[in-house]
Amino acid sequence: MSVATDTGYTPPKRGSFLDALAPGGKRAFFLLSVLGVLLIFAFPVFWLVLTSMRPAWGVYYVHRGLEFTLGNYLEVLEQEVVVHAFFNSFVIATLSTFFSLTVTVTSGYMLSRFTGKLANAWFGTIYIFRTIPYITWVLPLYFVTQWWGIFDTYLGLLLPHIAVHICFFSWLMKGFFDGIDPSMESAALIDGCTRWGAFLRVALPSALPGIAALSILCWLWTWNEFLFALILTSHNTPMITVVMAQFVSELGTEWNLMSATAVMAMVPALIVAIFGQKYVVRGLKV
Amino acid sequence: MAEVKLTQVNKRYGNIHAVHDVDLTVADEEFVVLVGPSGCGKSTTLRMVAGLEEISGGTIDIGGRVVNDLPPRDRDIAMVFQNYALYQHMTVYDNLAFGLRNRKVPEADIRKEIDRAASILGIQPLMARKPKQLSGGQQQRVALGRCIVRNPAVFLFDEPLSNLDAKLRAQMRIELKELRTRVATTSIYVTHDQVEAMTLGDRIVVMKDGLVQQIGTPLELYRTPANRFVGSFLGSPAMNFVDVTVVQKNGGLVLSDFGADIVLPDAMAAALAGHVGKNVVIGLRPEHILMGEGSSEGTIRLDGSIVLTEQLGAQQLVELRVGERTVMAAGVDPDLRLQGGDAGRFSIALDRVHVFAAGDSGPVLWSAGKGQVTAPLRHVS
Amino acid sequence: MGTPGPDKAPGKPGKSFALRWLALNEKTRFSLLLLAPSGIMLILFQIVPILIGANASFRDWSLYDPQRTWVGLQHYIYILTDPNFLYLVLPNTLLLMVSSVSIGLVLGLALAHMLNKHFFGHAIVQTVILLPLMVAPVIASMMMRWIFNDQFGVVAAVIGALGFGQIAWLSDRWPSFAIIVFTDVWLWTPWFTILLLAGLRSLPKEPYEAAAIDAASKWRVFTHVTLPMMRPIMAVCIVIRSIDCFRTFDQVWVISGGGPARQTEVFSIYAYTEAFVYLNFGRGTAAAIIGAIIIGTLGWGLYKLLNRFMEVSR
Repeated sequence: MSVATDTGYTPPKRGSFLDALAPGGKRAFFLLSVLGVLLIFAFPVFWLVLTSMRPAWGVYYVHRGLEFTLGNYLEVLEQEVVVHAFFNSFVIATLSTFFSLTVTVTSGYMLSRFTGKLANAWFGTIYIFRTIPYITWVLPLYFVTQWWGIFDTYLGLLLPHIAVHICFFSWLMKGFFDGIDPSMESAALIDGCTRWGAFLRVALPSALPGIAALSILCWLWTWNEFLFALILTSHNTPMITVVMAQFVSELGTEWNLMSATAVMAMVPALIVAIFGQKYVVRGLKV
Repeated sequence: MAEVKLTQVNKRYGNIHAVHDVDLTVADEEFVVLVGPSGCGKSTTLRMVAGLEEISGGTIDIGGRVVNDLPPRDRDIAMVFQNYALYQHMTVYDNLAFGLRNRKVPEADIRKEIDRAASILGIQPLMARKPKQLSGGQQQRVALGRCIVRNPAVFLFDEPLSNLDAKLRAQMRIELKELRTRVATTSIYVTHDQVEAMTLGDRIVVMKDGLVQQIGTPLELYRTPANRFVGSFLGSPAMNFVDVTVVQKNGGLVLSDFGADIVLPDAMAAALAGHVGKNVVIGLRPEHILMGEGSSEGTIRLDGSIVLTEQLGAQQLVELRVGERTVMAAGVDPDLRLQGGDAGRFSIALDRVHVFAAGDSGPVLWSAGKGQVTAPLRHVS
Repeated sequence: MGTPGPDKAPGKPGKSFALRWLALNEKTRFSLLLLAPSGIMLILFQIVPILIGANASFRDWSLYDPQRTWVGLQHYIYILTDPNFLYLVLPNTLLLMVSSVSIGLVLGLALAHMLNKHFFGHAIVQTVILLPLMVAPVIASMMMRWIFNDQFGVVAAVIGALGFGQIAWLSDRWPSFAIIVFTDVWLWTPWFTILLLAGLRSLPKEPYEAAAIDAASKWRVFTHVTLPMMRPIMAVCIVIRSIDCFRTFDQVWVISGGGPARQTEVFSIYAYTEAFVYLNFGRGTAAAIIGAIIIGTLGWGLYKLLNRFMEVSR
């Protein structure tokens, strides 16, 4: 309530009172929402890590008791299939990242630098095939890879993994090259390069920041991939995501072991999120 | 060392005819400027010479060798681009060395060449930097250096100064001019800026809509434009154009509709005899319109009113109205007190007048440089 | 056929590949070479399988019929009259798509706004928000399953501590479905956030300065300045995310497996189940093709709709 004073006009106090309060209230609201966001996005991961370090008898009361152990990790790593799966996932993710980028960097460059019927047709094709659900072509691939004798082998998983990224990556690569001045390549042509030389020695190095960011994401996506691994592999080449999904249905009670596996499978993601995030975000903003 | 010869060169993109039958011979060590508005085909022509665009028809010959089917790297040319096109991931030194390394020149020779070019351009301190750390002017010097180290038969310039601000552009223009005296090489220079064209070119090629309008030295083009477009494109402030009609009167020809009738001297009348009853266009350079009576013979005097004046310090520009036409006069004494709304009498030396056929690219019908004014002018009021 | 020779008319079959290749100009050759690796991979591992799948969808391609008898449209008719497909799978898929995309968009926009400001701990919050983008859907689903475990999960513990009764999360349709949606939102909101944040940061400043001079309230600035300018990028997000959400497999597979009793099945799971659980490969591929046609039409329609919407609003 404003207090009347004997000196003529006073500015309305109510307004200034609200003005003083509002920023504080807003700040509290903002702080609460930040905490809420942290809780929602970080808690499941935090809980998984916590579970993975609880002894078997304590797993059902994760929130009670303070005994922690790394035994679960050792126990999981004693299982040959898990180690094998980690190794396979690593190999497939690495190889498929390399080849996906190699294959799409040229087609993206082509989309960026050429106009005409061929480029238009290719652009339309990748647009359409980006829309088609994976299951539509992976289901038949189950038979196709068997006919070609590559089912349940590295090759049988690697090649579809390269194919799956063609549409999206060609499009992203086009974006990377669109950001590079084509007269640089013209200059290289005049400076004595062939078209391949201009592409490899001038355009490609300039596109590297984007390509590097994409390679990190591609590696993670392949590492995380499930559907292809489920359909196109069997006992010979287990992949880590499939092994984990099997845990859920087969040893549905041993949450400590499952969590330990999941945490290990999440390590690359954690590393990228913590150390590489700025780089990834910047690279993809092209 | 090399002459460049374009014979009936054409470029088509689908239905678009971008360059139309261009014939041009650039002599050894000559500096030729291609100029015209954007989309006139000048850059495309240059890129065809460079080998960056395929040639749809005709031949291009560099140093006595038809290069139509040669890739750019085998044409012995160097090119400066509008946005410099420096290799962003290389240092300045590597940028300069790139072309020579591609040609397997020994590193010691490369160093020597780069030192020479760098001293000409004054870029020695920049050698270890990347292009992103350079100013626009510095980048342009490096781009020039990249050409100089190569010692090519032909230099090609694709609007090299258009990304610089006005002051730097003027400075680089002078540097380019100086560079010519040190490195004399056949050059083709593309620009849309008529000042660059006038100041740099030994000869100028004016293009429009894929067609060559006129080829000649800067003064030839300025004084005797082949058509209305060339007249309008070169010179600032731009040439005045006044639509008039050729009318037969009192046994002679007069131009009507510009103030009073202008009675034509015999030579001019002879040139315009075929245009009686038709519309033609008078072209007048602003600096050839003089305020006041004028002195010499062969001037027409016109009475009009002053619309407005623009004081530039060194001179005044005066916009004049005569009937429904307005014209701009330049080079007016800045101390002359003139005001909008005043009546103004001005005079035009008829030996400076051009007459074009109607239309944007109407060919010249009469130009003082071509015809001789013999009879004294009569001004009928 | 025939002897290859230079006397053959150009372009006629029989002219050797090498000759025809050399007849192209080098620019075309270069562009074809650039395209070849991607093109060949796409043909071998997407186009060929789709054609084989299309063929299989017209056949009785099951373990019991080595003849693979041609059955015409039988599978398609079966699926399009299958109550499971019509009343569970299709509504589930669309509901997941609509709810996940709309919640993700709204949350993503809010988070992008939050990250667009500078505050203490900004880097940590951004890292945390980015994390789900990099976590495998399979792992995320496992986490959610564990958190929502009816007996030992932390959610059950909290609800118990608050004195409420237990919810059998995974034995009823809607609670299971809610967890699936929640997981999907958890996984994909970060993706919205990053793209929208990039969009927010690229907006011009002038309209905001003009709005500040006009003394517009924050909410009005948001609805009248930010949203209209963000519309194009939001439209792109919605279309891409809808298309991807339609094919969701991992989360449903791990969380509910489509259960209880196929009640949370979505399109990809349905096709997989028909092919690998009921071992009716023909029917599975038919379902997969029907799904592709639906999302193709839907994606195209959505794209057109958003395009028109954006044009009208401009």
